[in-house]
Amino acid sequence: MLVVPLLLAALAYALWRVLAGYPTPSERYGTLARHEVAFVLAAADALFPRGGPVPPSGADAGVPAYVDRYLAAVPPLLRFLMRCLFLLFEHATFFVAAPGSGGRRRFSSLSPEQRVAVLDRWRRSSSFAMRIVFTSLRAIFTMGYFADPAVLRALRLAPYAIETPIVEADLLYPPIGRSVDEIRFGPQDLGPPSDGRPLDLDGPLHPAYAEGGRS
Amino acid sequence: MTSVPAKGQVRVFADYDRDVDERCDVVVVGSGPGGSVVAKELAEAGRDVVLVEEGPPFTPQDFEWDGGRSMTRTMREAGLRTTRGHVMPTMQAICLGGGSLVNSAICVRSPERTLAGWCSDYDLEHGSRADLDPHYDAVASFLGIAPTPENVQGPRNLLFKRACDALGYSSEPIARNVRGCRGSGECFTGCRSRAKQSMDLAYVPAAIRAGARVLTSARVERIAMQGRRATAVSGRVVAPFRGTPSWRFRVEAKTVVLAAGCMATPVLLRRSGDLANASRQVGENLQFHPGTAAMGVFPEPTHPQFGATQGYQSLHFVGEGFKLETLWTPPALLAVRVPGYGLELKRHLAEIPYAAEWDAIVSTNRSLGRVVSRWRSLDPVLHWNFHPEDFRILARALFVLVEMFFAAGAKKVVHGVHGLPDEFHSIDEARTHERRELRPTDIVVAANHAFSSTRMHGNPRHGVVDELGRCHDTDNLYIADTGVLPRSPSVNPMFTAMAFAHRTARAIAAR
Repeated sequence: MLVVPLLLAALAYALWRVLAGYPTPSERYGTLARHEVAFVLAAADALFPRGGPVPPSGADAGVPAYVDRYLAAVPPLLRFLMRCLFLLFEHATFFVAAPGSGGRRRFSSLSPEQRVAVLDRWRRSSSFAMRIVFTSLRAIFTMGYFADPAVLRALRLAPYAIETPIVEADLLYPPIGRSVDEIRFGPQDLGPPSDGRPLDLDGPLHPAYAEGGRS
Repeated sequence: MTSVPAKGQVRVFADYDRDVDERCDVVVVGSGPGGSVVAKELAEAGRDVVLVEEGPPFTPQDFEWDGGRSMTRTMREAGLRTTRGHVMPTMQAICLGGGSLVNSAICVRSPERTLAGWCSDYDLEHGSRADLDPHYDAVASFLGIAPTPENVQGPRNLLFKRACDALGYSSEPIARNVRGCRGSGECFTGCRSRAKQSMDLAYVPAAIRAGARVLTSARVERIAMQGRRATAVSGRVVAPFRGTPSWRFRVEAKTVVLAAGCMATPVLLRRSGDLANASRQVGENLQFHPGTAAMGVFPEPTHPQFGATQGYQSLHFVGEGFKLETLWTPPALLAVRVPGYGLELKRHLAEIPYAAEWDAIVSTNRSLGRVVSRWRSLDPVLHWNFHPEDFRILARALFVLVEMFFAAGAKKVVHGVHGLPDEFHSIDEARTHERRELRPTDIVVAANHAFSSTRMHGNPRHGVVDELGRCHDTDNLYIADTGVLPRSPSVNPMFTAMAFAHRTARAIAAR
């Protein structure tokens, strides 16, 4: 007789845990849902807190916006799997609590120290599957962090400006989305090919990565 | 020599406004290193050629320097394809020029001993190095393949040479299909200097000059046959990146050449009625060069973003089954292997400007996998597992890399092996772990270079194609991608696949 109420209670708790109590994001996201934004922000700042030799935090570097765009760009099945990945990380603490008090809360509700402890447990797990899951998550966030020009400039890894010669192929193919009728180069535009001159390490940066620019 | 193509000679997605029906002498499916060689050679031999490519052409305006975004645009399955069995990431490009747009342009001839082994083990009469050298030479001459010049090596490549010299290992600058490299290290995301002679810049324009027509954003879904003869290919025009199908197309041809890549060609054959498969070898024998990398941190800056992406190599251990190379990946991908979290992670990231990354690739001739068709999809399922002996070679190669880093003066090495300390700070510390029994899941492994899924064999019962790339069961259906390699070429396979494709083109032209 008690089974049905218990099941209903469990279902209600599961729904509450998965969906309720998440704050409204301060920015608009096209793909990420509210609960996903909360997890992505929490994980991004656990991996990349503000300060240290590379000042921007994960949130400062726009990791949530990157993840939002990345999800939109991948095929539907992979998008679904990534969403499952976020859900898994967010709620795995229900089954295996984080150290300290309140360790069964959602990942996004844990303290920064608890979040790091949870990530560390995934990374050092004896289970290959758990490590792969962690590596996948971390790869997505790291790509997002490194997409920020300020991060690359801080690490002196921002790309240089490069003059791109006009070559025969530019007379044959238009940029993606355009028609061949819109090719704007002709034989008169062909320039000398790359001369093999090494890049100048003190030279200007790629405009999208220079100070004040953002890709 | 430059020419403006005749109207309709190159079609991109925006140009299609109705179903397409073409007729030609030869249709080539796939514009990567194999297909583009065939298209150019046959067009220059006077054949009417149509080259069909599922991906779009990329201009410098379309390149994305950010590694993650670049992968979602240039790779199938957004660059997130993995093997099953032993899980490894593996990639297949989807763009005009295929993998050559986003690889590091390495062109190495297969060692004589390797090719001699193929001849004896796969009943090949004309597969020796002497037989292949004229074809290697033709490709090398056209693409300007040459060793990477010292002035664009950069410190991280030259440190590799220093390590080899210190330990007595042979090493050499990597020969690449590059003209005028400036050392931007951007091979994997598209060469903004237009120095890399990727197929879309070299072979495809030459084919167009000789009269070939090119259909891009055209996904071949079926090969039509009449008896032993292939008569046409057909499929759908698909939107770049999304793959949304629109117009239909059909190309009738006297000869059909498949060069869709060793992961796609078997799927296409299976979907077309299990073609060319009397041997039951289509999709079998799939091999990779599983690779692993380590990162050494040096006391002085290495300016790692400067220098050829992969400028130096050592073939010293090819006899043992592995090859060593330098490597530079987009920083976002490189950083994935940096250990730690939070401020500790940031301290490690700040060491990247002092780092060099080197890798080892292994010839895993005992580790065979399969390409399997996926339900209602042209994307393959790839099954593959490590043979214990092949894994032992990989583990040994990783420790050789560690030894080399310390020989070059590194102060620590990040190796990514599960269960070991995150970093080794001396060769003595590394040696205390060298004899530890590792499992394949302990090492971060990537599946480089896929091949052998439609292997060449002199005996029709054991292989899919003959020495000239013709499918044994057919009169006029050829394969010209890495799938035809009988097994590992011991080195990066692109150049050997191109040499075979060159030979296949000459054979078709001579018919």
